[in-house]
Amino acid sequence: MHRLVLAVVVVLPLISAARAPRTRSATRLVVPHSSLSTVWDSVYSPAQAGRGESAYVKFCARCHQASLGGADQSPPLAGPAFLGNWNGLTLADLHDRIRTTMPSDSIGIVDRQVVTDVIAYMLKANGFPAGATDLVSDGDRLKAIAIQSSRP
Amino acid sequence: MASMVRSFMQGVSFASVALLVGATRSRAQATPPFTTSHGDWPSYTGDTRGTRYSPLDQISAANFSSLEVAWRFKTDSLGPRPEFKLESTPLVVHGVLYTTGGTNRAVVALDAVTGVQRWVHREDEGPRGAAAPRPLSGRGLAYWTDGRDERILYVTPGYRLIALDAKTGVTIPSFGTNGAVDLKTDIDQTIFPDLVTGEIGYQGAPVVGQDVIVIGAAFREGTAPRSFKNNKGYIRGFDVRTGKRLWTFHTIPQKGENGYDTWLNGSAEYTGNTGVWTQVTIDEDLGLVYLPVESPTGDYYGGHRPGNDLYGESLVCLDLRTGARKWYYQIVHHPIWDFDLSAAPILADITVDGRAIKAVAAPTKQGILYVFDRITGKPVWPIEEKPVEKGEVPGEWYSPTQPIPTKPPAYAKNGTSLDDLIDFTPDLRAQAVTIASRYKLGPVFTPPVVSKAEGPIATLARGPTNGGTNWPGGAYDPETHTIYVAASNAAPSALGLVKPTPERSDMDWIAGFAPGAGGRGGGLSVQGMPLFKPPYGTMNAINLDKGEIAWQVPHGETPDVVRNSEALKGMSIPRTGQPGFIIGTLVTKTLVIAGDPQVTTLPTRPRGAMLRAYDKKTGAEVGAVLLPAPTSASPMTYAVNGKQYIVVAVSGGPYSGEFIALRLPSGDR
Repeated sequence: MHRLVLAVVVVLPLISAARAPRTRSATRLVVPHSSLSTVWDSVYSPAQAGRGESAYVKFCARCHQASLGGADQSPPLAGPAFLGNWNGLTLADLHDRIRTTMPSDSIGIVDRQVVTDVIAYMLKANGFPAGATDLVSDGDRLKAIAIQSSRP
Repeated sequence: MASMVRSFMQGVSFASVALLVGATRSRAQATPPFTTSHGDWPSYTGDTRGTRYSPLDQISAANFSSLEVAWRFKTDSLGPRPEFKLESTPLVVHGVLYTTGGTNRAVVALDAVTGVQRWVHREDEGPRGAAAPRPLSGRGLAYWTDGRDERILYVTPGYRLIALDAKTGVTIPSFGTNGAVDLKTDIDQTIFPDLVTGEIGYQGAPVVGQDVIVIGAAFREGTAPRSFKNNKGYIRGFDVRTGKRLWTFHTIPQKGENGYDTWLNGSAEYTGNTGVWTQVTIDEDLGLVYLPVESPTGDYYGGHRPGNDLYGESLVCLDLRTGARKWYYQIVHHPIWDFDLSAAPILADITVDGRAIKAVAAPTKQGILYVFDRITGKPVWPIEEKPVEKGEVPGEWYSPTQPIPTKPPAYAKNGTSLDDLIDFTPDLRAQAVTIASRYKLGPVFTPPVVSKAEGPIATLARGPTNGGTNWPGGAYDPETHTIYVAASNAAPSALGLVKPTPERSDMDWIAGFAPGAGGRGGGLSVQGMPLFKPPYGTMNAINLDKGEIAWQVPHGETPDVVRNSEALKGMSIPRTGQPGFIIGTLVTKTLVIAGDPQVTTLPTRPRGAMLRAYDKKTGAEVGAVLLPAPTSASPMTYAVNGKQYIVVAVSGGPYSGEFIALRLPSGDR
C-alpha cells in the first residue's frame, strides 16, 4: 500500500536542475493561468477588508502580528515572502489552508465568511485593488481567482 | 494517562531486525558520545554540540545536481489533519530514521533506506494538547542508548516527556509514570490557571548528554501578551533511565538567588516566559549545558519588569549533572526587541592568535555572532558596552548600553536608514522613502515607539522577531573552524505600541498600530518587493580562528515579484537572495547545503524551491535540486550500506508536510 502511494507522489515536481525538465503533470489542484480572474481584478470591497481587519486583529494578529509580518512561529501574510509562496495558486487554496488550520489553538471557530473577509484584508494589505463587490465564500468561485504576485 | 497511549508495530521484517541487531555497536554502560563520524545522525544537530556537521563525502560538488528521490514520506495521516509546518529534523541510528510528524506530534520510525514505516507512536492529549502554546509536529526528538537499551525521547504538545523503546515504539513503563513525565508538575512553581490550559510547552527536540535529558520551555508569541504575568520558563534536567528530575534552573531567579535584584520592584515574582524555546547545546566532555534564553514577558514592552532582567536574552552555562550555574552573559539588557536567543549555541574548538580556545558561538536574530570561551564565559574578542538610544514610551525602563562585539562583524543587516532602501529605479526609491518617512529609523537597538497615526507609526527595525538567524541555527565545520549560517536581511519588523483594551490585555502597552495609522504588511513593501536593497538573504561563512566573514553570498532565487516586476522590465538584476529565516544549514566534508525559504517559478522550471549546495571553501554554488515546497526544517545526512542520503522536510503554503530522502542514482559517484 505504501509503495503504491510512493509511486503516485513521485510524479510531483522534483527534478534535477542540471537536467532538462522532464514532462510531468502536477497532481496538485493548481488553476492554470487561463482562470477567469486574478487578485488584480478588484475582487473584494473596501468594507469587506475593514471587516476582515477586525477579524484579523481578533483571531490572527497575536501570532502573525498587527503588521502581518509574521514572527518566530508564524509566517508573514503580506509582502514578498507571502506572495512568493502563494504565487500561481488560487484563493481557494488559501481559504482551505486558513480554514482547516487556523487559529492553530482553536481550529474551526472562524466560519467560512469570516475567513473570506480576512482574505479580503490580506489582499488589501498586499496591495491588490479593491472593487465594488465583496469576495464570496463559494469554493468554486474562489478556485477561479488566481493569486499572481505581479500585475498581469 | 496510560489509556491515552497507543502504539503500533508495523512491518518489522526479520531482515530489518537482523540488521538492527547486527549493527548495534558494542558500548559501555554510559551513554556513548553523540557523533556523526560513523554515518549516523543521532542527535538533533547531528551531535549535541550544535554543529550539523557530517564527514560524509559521497554527495559532492560533482554530483549534487544529479540527486534523485530515494523515498518520500507524507505526514498527513499522522494526525487529525494535514500539517503545513513540518519543522522536524530526523535522527538516524543504525539504519533506522526517527522523527516527529503530524499535527498532534506523533513519532515514527522508518527504514532509512526505503522509507517504509516500522512503527508509529501517538498520544491523544485531548483538551490539554489542543491548548498547547507550541502545537504541531515539533522540531524532533532525542535518541539514547547505553549499548543495550535504546530509547526515543520527545515532548508532546501538552508538555509531557515520553520515553519509547526505539525498537518497538512502545512506552517504557519504568520511565516516569508509565513512560511519561508530566512536565507541568515538579517545576518549582504552580502552573496557572491549571494543568490543562496552563501556558507552557516545548516544540524543540530534547537533548541528552551523560544520561541527562535537558528540556526547554516555550510560550505563545509574545508581542501582544494577554498579561504581564505568566508562567516561568524554568529549564530542567531529568535522568534518562528513570525520568526523575535531577535539577531545575530558575531562568528568572527566585528570591535570594543571584540575579533576583535585576528585576526591580519585585517584578521577578510575577514576570514569566524567559524560557528556552529553541535548542539546548551540551558539551558531553566538559559536562556543561548551554542555554539560549528568550525574552521575558512582553517582547516589545518591559515597563512591568524594570531592570536588566536576568537571565532574559542571556547565554547561560550550567553544570550538566547538577544544573548549577557556571557562567552567564546577558546578550541584551532589559530586552524590548524580541531578540530571543533563537538558535542552538555552537561549540567550536578554535585557535585564536596561536591560542587554543574551547569556544561557544551564538548566532542571533540581530545577525551578530557572540563568541565566548565556553569554560570561562569570557568573550573571545572584546565585547563593548555601547551607549544606545533611550526611548520615550511612558512607563518603560531603558538600559543605557548594550553589548556589541568587536569581532566578528555583523553578518546580517540589523538596522534601518534611508540609504538601505530599494533603489532599482528612482520611482521605486521615492515610494520607499515615502513609506519609510512614516516610521522611526535607526541602528540596531533603536527602541520601540508609541504608534501615532501622524507618525511615527512604529520603529522600522531589521532583526527583531524575524531577522538574522532564527531557530534553524547554523552549522560548524570542525575542519576549517568555520560557522555557516543564513541571514535574513529584508523582513522588517514594526515596533509600534498601543494601549490595549482591558479585555485584550492587562499590559500597559502591546504591539500594534494606532487607529488610522495604516502601516499594515503590504505597507512594508514597494509594489510587493522588499522595502530594502538586496541581498534579501545571505549564506555566510564566518571563520572563528580569525573572527572574520570568509564569504557571503545571496541565498535563494530572486523572488517572483522582483523577476516579474513591470517596473524592472529590461533591467538585469543579479540574484537577490530571499528574505526568510527558516533556513537550516548542513555542512559535510566539502559542501554547505541549505534550501530556499520561498517558492519561485521560472520559465525553465515549474514552481518549487531549490535545495542548494555551496563549496564550503569559496561559497560558489556547485549544485541545486528542485523541491516541491520550501525546506521547512534543517537538512540532515546519513549513510547506510555505503550510500549517502540527505533528508529534508518540505512544507508551507498549501503544501503539507513531507520528508524527502535524496541519494545519487545507481552508479553515480
